[in-house]
Amino acid sequence: MSDAGDEPTDQFTQPDSGGPTVEFYGGRGMSAFPIAFFIVWAIVQTALWRIGDTGGLIVGILVGLIVGMFFARGDWKHYANTIFEGMTQPVAVTAIVAWIWAGMFAQLLQDGGFVGGLVWLADTAGVGAALFPAITFVLAAVFTTGIGTGYGASIAFVGLFFPAGVLLGANPVLLFGAILSGAIFGDNLAPVSDTTIVSAVTQDADIGGVVASRFKYVIIAAVLAFLGYVVAGGAMDGIEVGAQAQEIFLEESDAIGLVHVISMAAVIGTAIAGRHIVEAISWGIVVAVAFNLVFGLAGPGDIVMFNAPQDAPLAGPLESLPILTIVEDPDAVGVGGSLMNGVAGFLELSILVLLIIGAAQIMIRGGAFDVLLEWSIENLATNVRNAELTMVGTAALINAIITINTAAEVAIGPYISKIGERFNLNGYRRANILDGQTAAMGYIFPWSGGVLAGYSAMQQLPGDYDWFEQSMVVTPIDVVPYVFQGWLLVAVFIVAALTGFGREYLIDRESEEVARV
Amino acid sequence: MSIFDKYLTGWTFRANRPSLEVGSEIDVFISETNGSAGRAYIGDTELLVEGAGPETVEKQVRVRVTSFDETTATGEGDLVEVVGESSYSG
Repeated sequence: MSDAGDEPTDQFTQPDSGGPTVEFYGGRGMSAFPIAFFIVWAIVQTALWRIGDTGGLIVGILVGLIVGMFFARGDWKHYANTIFEGMTQPVAVTAIVAWIWAGMFAQLLQDGGFVGGLVWLADTAGVGAALFPAITFVLAAVFTTGIGTGYGASIAFVGLFFPAGVLLGANPVLLFGAILSGAIFGDNLAPVSDTTIVSAVTQDADIGGVVASRFKYVIIAAVLAFLGYVVAGGAMDGIEVGAQAQEIFLEESDAIGLVHVISMAAVIGTAIAGRHIVEAISWGIVVAVAFNLVFGLAGPGDIVMFNAPQDAPLAGPLESLPILTIVEDPDAVGVGGSLMNGVAGFLELSILVLLIIGAAQIMIRGGAFDVLLEWSIENLATNVRNAELTMVGTAALINAIITINTAAEVAIGPYISKIGERFNLNGYRRANILDGQTAAMGYIFPWSGGVLAGYSAMQQLPGDYDWFEQSMVVTPIDVVPYVFQGWLLVAVFIVAALTGFGREYLIDRESEEVARV
Repeated sequence: MSIFDKYLTGWTFRANRPSLEVGSEIDVFISETNGSAGRAYIGDTELLVEGAGPETVEKQVRVRVTSFDETTATGEGDLVEVVGESSYSG
């Protein structure tokens, strides 16, 4: 920014943000310790030692939070209360709700033979292993754009399309990357996506206008990503599934499982009709249960089964119920079935995410977040091009650190607004830069919410299919380079900042009134 | 603007230093002030706004453009009124 000499002095003031509420020995930067410790732990555990255990990550964030407390000044109750403040944020609970509902839905479809139907269709249509990732990317993108939750879509597609693709010989890592890419596409573009809404609201822009204006960035990245999956699909080999197992599964694969396309359509349809995501997936669950029962794809006991001990008072008289089994083995006592199995995979993950959001709140309240952003505003955003690059960089960095991308977006939204308004960029441009990085970075790294959700769903597959071996589960760090839509979306915005592509100033067009949510 | 037009808007490369039309009224955010005049940046174009005091900093104001130099991308204008708040101030 040039200096105009005797003209106005620089009195750029910042609104009072309330200041940090937790102080640390070593300065504000130390408040990032719990999150930084967790990221190092996650990299060592998942990447270097190849242990994809969510429980281990929970221990990692707990140790980070406990050690971080020793750096806090004054009464430690402020530190503890800040953890609670973070954990009770609606965004964290929203993600957990989406995971659990989507987990039940995906398990119902899986147990209802949808994977078999997909395999049958791909086999009949002659879709080979090479094209399967590219097609999966497109379908995941369409599905996510319809339902608005990339986390839910990741879970559903890992449970359904992933085993089908692996069986047909597609590369598992590439396939997981394609699913995450589809989730990014929809998370970024869907009008009902929580990140779309947050980006519009924090930048004072209308959601319809935001979606329309971001289409150009999303579609450019998507076309390139699609081509990438076609090329990589031909170049990367799949895992050898035992020929006999493959043959048996193909023989058992039946077109009737494809009836669950209607279950998926029910979710998309109700979501597009403006219903809440909980309601939309609940309708999908109702339709899926009905189809499973009516077409004999799964019985009531497959959907929910009570395994009671012999000495249970009312178990004997009611043993004839299809949802009740009396078991002799005490270890077998419990509740099973699609609904339970669908939920079970996400219980540990839910705890992990709550703790990470608590640690992120420590970073925000402790001031490390402000240090980074104030420094970038003062030193990097020196002209409009650098300002846009700074917006891309800081949004990407914060989203890469904070597991739940909506939470990261809520936190950084005001700073994107501040930098963008200084150069009179309009609300659409600001919202698009913000959400592009938010969607992309939420599905790339091993600690990203989308990757964790998909990975949790994948860990259940060896128990679901005899032929699916533990070695077929993708280690999250391996998928990082193959989330093409994510990397390309960031690249598109870097090029857009450098060239001015898609840039709009307030004098060009003002965003319409935002419908506050 | 129709929905279709909204999808087609912005498929262009916008200049770092946009031109301003003398006599036009534009709404911009004031980023700094010396007490009697404020400065707004539209991209890397600088607009000196007479009458924009501290109360206008980080506010959206309507400005009547009185002069503009293409070569230096600097202009001057008069404050008309405050029209809006920053989106991050609430």
